[in-house]
Amino acid sequence: MSRIDRITRSLRVWWPYYLMLAPGVIYFLVFHYFPIYKAKLAFEDFRIIGPNIWVGMKHYYVLFTSTAFKQVLLNTLIISGMKMLFVFPVPIFLALLINEVRGDGLRKVVQSAIYLPHFLSWVVIAGIFIAALSPSTGVVNDIRGVVGLAPRPFMTEAGSIRWVLVFSEIWRSAGWDSLLYFAAIMAIDPQLYDAAEMDGANRWQKIRHVTLPGIVPTIATLFILNVGLFLNAGFDQVFNLTNDAIRDRIDILDTYVYRIGLQTGQFSLATAAGLFKGIIGLVMIVAAHNFSKKLTGKGVW
Amino acid sequence: MASQNRTSLEKMEQVIIVSTLLLLVVITVQPILNLLAISLSSPEKVLLMTGMTVIPEGFSTDVWNILLNHPKVRTGLMNSLFITISGTFLNIIFTALMAWALSRPNLPGRRIIFIFVLITIVFEPGIIPDYFVIKDLGLLNTYWAVILFKMVNAWYLIILIRFFEEIPEELIEAAELDGAGAFQTLWHVVLPLAKPALATITLFYLVYHWNEFLRPMIYFNDQDMWPLQVVLRQFVVEGDKVAIVGLESMANYDASSQISIRSLKAGMILFTIAPVLMIYPLILKFFTKGTMSGAVK
Repeated sequence: MSRIDRITRSLRVWWPYYLMLAPGVIYFLVFHYFPIYKAKLAFEDFRIIGPNIWVGMKHYYVLFTSTAFKQVLLNTLIISGMKMLFVFPVPIFLALLINEVRGDGLRKVVQSAIYLPHFLSWVVIAGIFIAALSPSTGVVNDIRGVVGLAPRPFMTEAGSIRWVLVFSEIWRSAGWDSLLYFAAIMAIDPQLYDAAEMDGANRWQKIRHVTLPGIVPTIATLFILNVGLFLNAGFDQVFNLTNDAIRDRIDILDTYVYRIGLQTGQFSLATAAGLFKGIIGLVMIVAAHNFSKKLTGKGVW
Repeated sequence: MASQNRTSLEKMEQVIIVSTLLLLVVITVQPILNLLAISLSSPEKVLLMTGMTVIPEGFSTDVWNILLNHPKVRTGLMNSLFITISGTFLNIIFTALMAWALSRPNLPGRRIIFIFVLITIVFEPGIIPDYFVIKDLGLLNTYWAVILFKMVNAWYLIILIRFFEEIPEELIEAAELDGAGAFQTLWHVVLPLAKPALATITLFYLVYHWNEFLRPMIYFNDQDMWPLQVVLRQFVVEGDKVAIVGLESMANYDASSQISIRSLKAGMILFTIAPVLMIYPLILKFFTKGTMSGAVK
């Protein structure tokens, strides 16, 4: 049977399914593959009238010799690093803590509350944090006042703003992320706990020898995923929490692309920076996926 | 004796655990309740309210009346609802169609299309090329720009494929033996069985569209097209008081009405999250279940 015959035959059987796929495939082509083609702007000079001019690596030369880009790159790495160190472990502790609560009622109340911020936009969360961190009327400085500390303008202080990112990230995502670990804990064979109890294990010994080993694969997978996404330091978050006083402390790759591209109109340079991030990100996430697959047998997708 | 020590120790531990968790609940909920209290207090009392209060002082709905009658907030609400509902509607149709086809194990080319989709997850060329695509398609300043832009989410597509794959093959074969075509099988057999998964991704999409602010900001020049999130951003994050209060009222503002800007901001934040709070019980019901079974697998 020839190739053409095979194709017509499978089309005769499967055409309704290809029809169903068509809109989705066209969508991905137009809105995800067409932009990849458009990214050639990184190697061109943008012109409003007439075709763009090919300039090769010119914009990358400009980018890598600019101090602004270096600072942005550094900020991205610092902020991602801080999140890795201080945000990543929180949901693990949270899941362990929730698991130790007796009584479904209390557990449900706790879970219902701490999952909520995950579903709020960063615009909303920025609004909440700006209010809560206000030096004059915010709850945080009110509490500082109670214990006799002077109010601090956290949102405009160079030394605090990265910590504002860390804490707002914890506030928003730690609860929801704990769900993944909690699910992993729920999947642990109850017999293991029974056996540990028979051996006279106390709460801490059970956590150390049964619960923790049970969620190590989940921790490993999520950790590797986070490494793979290291360059995504959180556009929506920084975009809404930034201000003129501290912009240079938290300007990250994504906000830089937005700023120089859509605000100051340096389209080519911005595309070059965005494409740089996309390519490095691609390498990192694929490496993370393969590493995770090797280590835990479970990939990132 | 030893066992008695142990139970009292365990009681202590339990107290510590429960109080830690309750503290976390307070940290999560208090800032929101504070804003609610401020938005419901009478204007002259707000001046003295701290960030710790969670109970309104001198109950008043002035803030909410102003917001509900504000043209910018009203059009924002209508725009948000339109984008969210029509966007989610298209999302569900096209995600389900694609997922059903891709869940057929023998479909020729299935793997290639799957990889074709996966590539879009791992490689994103950035927002500037996206912008030029929208521009080239002539979609700038149209609702289509934000609705079509996320017509199928690759992650949700994968979730749905995985779910469809778990439907027993016998049920599908039985339908096909009865003469049902691909569309009929999807409609009469697959979709009814996949209700929990469909509900989950519907809620995902709803929340996504409701919370989107960046693309409308970039793609809409016309402020009358702005959804609520962008209006909120202009007012609360960028601190543009004139936009909400209006120039004339700004001009003859006295000290006491200046204070109500704080209440207006609080009210505006809550107004924007109100719909999320309304569907939150559903989210708890479906998301938590969906994510849990997904993680267990």
